[in-house]
Amino acid sequence: MSRYLAIALQTLVAVALAPALVGFIRWLKARLQGRRGAPPWQPYFEIRKLFGKEAVVSHTASWIFNVTPFVVFGTSVLVASLVPLIIAPSGPFLVGDLFATVYLLLLGTFFLALAGLDTGSPFGGMGASREMTVVALTEPTVALSIVALALNAGSTSFSQIVARTLAEPRAALGPGHVLAFAALFIVTLAETGRLPVDNPSTHLELTMIHEAMILEYSGPYLALIEWGAALKLLVFLSLAANLFVPWGIASSLSPVALTIGFVSLIAKLGVLAVVIAVLETRVAKLRLFRVPELLSASFVLAALAVMSTVLAR
Amino acid sequence: MVNGTFSQLVTLGSSGMLLTALIVLWRKGVPAYITAYKWQAWLLAAITATVGYYGRDPQLYWVAAGLLALKGVAIPALLRTMQRRFGAQREATPYVNTEVSLVIASVLVLFAYVLARPWMTVTHLPTRQGLPLAMGLLFVSLFIVVSRKKAITQVIGFLMLENAIALLAVVGTYGVPLLVEFGVFLDALMGFLVMQIFVYHIHETFDSIDVEELTRLRH
Amino acid sequence: MILSVLLMPPLLASCLAILVRPYKRFVGWVSLIGASLSFAASIALCATVVTAGPLQDAASATALWRVDALSSLLALCIAFVALLAAILGQRVGRPDREELSQTRHFRIFTNAFVFTMLAAVTIQNVALMWVAIEATTITSAMVIPLTRTKASVEASWKYILICSVGIALAFAGTVLAYFDFVTTAGEVPGSLNWTVLRATAPSLHPQLLQLAFAFILIGYGTKAGMAPMHTWLPDAHSEAPSPISAMMSGVLLAVAMYAIARWKAVVDVSVSPWFTNSLLTAFGLLSLTIGAFSLVIQHHYKRMLAYSSVEHMGLVSIGLALGPLGTFAALLHVVNHAVAKSMSFLLAGRILHRYETTEIAKVTGLLRVMPWTGSLFAVGILALVGLPPFGLFVSEFLLVRAAVVSGRFWVAGVVLVLLLIVFASLIDHLNGMLYGEAPAGVAVGERCNWSLAALALSVGVLVVLGVTLPRPISALITQSVRGVIP
Repeated sequence: MSRYLAIALQTLVAVALAPALVGFIRWLKARLQGRRGAPPWQPYFEIRKLFGKEAVVSHTASWIFNVTPFVVFGTSVLVASLVPLIIAPSGPFLVGDLFATVYLLLLGTFFLALAGLDTGSPFGGMGASREMTVVALTEPTVALSIVALALNAGSTSFSQIVARTLAEPRAALGPGHVLAFAALFIVTLAETGRLPVDNPSTHLELTMIHEAMILEYSGPYLALIEWGAALKLLVFLSLAANLFVPWGIASSLSPVALTIGFVSLIAKLGVLAVVIAVLETRVAKLRLFRVPELLSASFVLAALAVMSTVLAR
Repeated sequence: MVNGTFSQLVTLGSSGMLLTALIVLWRKGVPAYITAYKWQAWLLAAITATVGYYGRDPQLYWVAAGLLALKGVAIPALLRTMQRRFGAQREATPYVNTEVSLVIASVLVLFAYVLARPWMTVTHLPTRQGLPLAMGLLFVSLFIVVSRKKAITQVIGFLMLENAIALLAVVGTYGVPLLVEFGVFLDALMGFLVMQIFVYHIHETFDSIDVEELTRLRH
Repeated sequence: MILSVLLMPPLLASCLAILVRPYKRFVGWVSLIGASLSFAASIALCATVVTAGPLQDAASATALWRVDALSSLLALCIAFVALLAAILGQRVGRPDREELSQTRHFRIFTNAFVFTMLAAVTIQNVALMWVAIEATTITSAMVIPLTRTKASVEASWKYILICSVGIALAFAGTVLAYFDFVTTAGEVPGSLNWTVLRATAPSLHPQLLQLAFAFILIGYGTKAGMAPMHTWLPDAHSEAPSPISAMMSGVLLAVAMYAIARWKAVVDVSVSPWFTNSLLTAFGLLSLTIGAFSLVIQHHYKRMLAYSSVEHMGLVSIGLALGPLGTFAALLHVVNHAVAKSMSFLLAGRILHRYETTEIAKVTGLLRVMPWTGSLFAVGILALVGLPPFGLFVSEFLLVRAAVVSGRFWVAGVVLVLLLIVFASLIDHLNGMLYGEAPAGVAVGERCNWSLAALALSVGVLVVLGVTLPRPISALITQSVRGVIP
């Protein structure tokens, strides 16, 4: 099987799986809270419903409003093809590297914030400013935590990082590794709008960040944005899982390896989904001005990870 | 990079100890500080026992047991009694706010790494990666003592400072002679008891344990 | 044998005070007898060490207690000041507000304090010496808030926190030095003893020892009241009861300087003396400056005495950095300062008792109100500013001479200027206190009693040390110098 075909397949799998991931987390939370909850595949029905509806656009909105859903979805899909989900892309394929990933995701968030401002609705503006506060603090941490791994591997390309960890399993227990994982996990929660930074199911003015930016969207646009957000969650979680616990990733293109890679991806995502669901049930949302404290704590963890990797040689 | 399960375990434990100190800088409730200190003490006892096992020094088992009893159980219990008695639930805004404190802490750890570079080349012990972490913990504990306002938090900072030095002794020299350990234990216990008595004094005399109140003596 | 007569009496007196509840007067007398026994033992110890060499209780490397000239010199100072404090301390909490539990508390911890100080200077093991010094912090801290006022509680808290943190840093330095030793020479029994450390010092890594010494200097320097770690000193020394202030100011600071001197001896063998000398000079000059300038703006006489201690410890630190001549001057200064400062604090206690205020402005007409105390206090202050014929003049003169001889003219110049500032401010404060009218409500007149006679004895000692340096003392100090500088 050619590499391009495999990568396309990987992207398709990611796109298909993303709503199920979000649905699974939601279902698990409901069960933990003692409710029955909607089935894990409910988001598919929601997306299908939204595609059938008409998009209502405010007449004060500009082209940004219309373009944003496509940018968000498009960048998420692009990133899904870059990161090691099932296959560790060996050799140069497009730009399979760290900084491209980070900035593609940031592009999506940037457009979303602009779209929130675009309609002139006060909720959108408020959500945009809150989101920018959070993102400004998470960007350095994302970069630093992956840099900690990259320094060890000697390159920022994902395939190299994965190969290095596979070659030296002992290093996976080292403090640099563990700290970087912790930092990346906290940042995942922040970037994808999960508790304790943002509540994904609230529409109260005081508490919403991501939901505030997309409040004005409806119909297919909303479907694309929700799908893009779910894809972003999947990408972040699989990045965290596969960079730090890479066993199971397909290193060759044989069907067996690909199947194992697929199964291991599902398993790792399942574990992380359970962790997130339990965390969201236990923890209350942080007040907005306490969020910088959490994020600077994650920055310090990432900084310590880099220090212990570089200076402890 | 030093390999081997022994050095990995010790390094992991030392990082854990450093992280518990960061928790004191990050969280704002005194009960959280006491829990962080308890974990730190347990980690220290675990590291000591590990060094005793791999270094084949049975004396260290006794030291670990003593550490567990004193710093892992007794002192946190006393701290909790103190905290319940004074109702000191939240640390008021410290002299340096949380984000800046955390960044300063990372700078201090960086400084500790730089300082400890020459030592790591000198020794051949497998635990040598714990040296900069112990120094980092020392500096961070000093920072905690200096920048916090509640007397009980300063006491916790001081206790973490002692843990840092104990960690330094364990990873640098596989522990100090038993007699010295014993004397240090005694001193630590006495020192803590005296500090506890003084926090009670402060509470009785000033009706709060905020050290900002202690401003009568100037020049 | 002599060693046990030196160390046991304070320990036993402390235990006795713990056991006797409620407090009975005879415990105080037992403390006094114990202090006299210790003092006699310390004199005997000095004599033995000067004639027969260092005394130890077992074979060299593993001996726990080892008394050489430097140790016995300090033990002598400690025992002397303890004896003075015991004589005058009988008056703690006298008639109108005598609280028996307070006195018991005082006796327990004062005796324990003396025991720990004596142990600190006679133990050979560096780490156990550290344990003893930490114990001195704890025991002396327990006595400071004897009367539970806001000021004394604040002072005791600052004292215990700052000194404990400082001492913990000193232990970090000790561990680092031990780490250096172990990586070079392996684990040897008795590896933490002075003698062994000094013998192995040439093969230790200079960089590591430098860092260890930095930690130790900051750590023990906090305990010695060196600036900028001195912030606890004025508070603790002014709020403590006078006998404790006398002991803390007179000898506890000296014990911390002793620890620094011992470590200097070890580190100098491996690293060139330039490193320790520059550090000690820097801290010493800083202490001298801060002490001198703080004296100018003082309003409380006990704090004034405390800042004077900071200044004098600065002088001792500078002296240690100036080679053999300077070390001789520093050690002589330690002895002189111990006598003069303890005397001044004990007299300040009597003044406090009579005037019931610590402010300089409110204490006037001292010569009229308490003629004996007033004149002795004046003598004490005159001695502390370094006027002849008192001993401090000689030691300060020797210090400046050592600076000039070793070529450090600028050090000599700065020291002289700062001493001038100290002179001016202390004399100014003293004048305000001695002359003038007695304030209303203060009883006038004083009977001379035997405790004052003991203080007059201190004056005698100061004069003797100032006019002629007796042979035995000079021999003792010379041998101590050899303990610091090989």
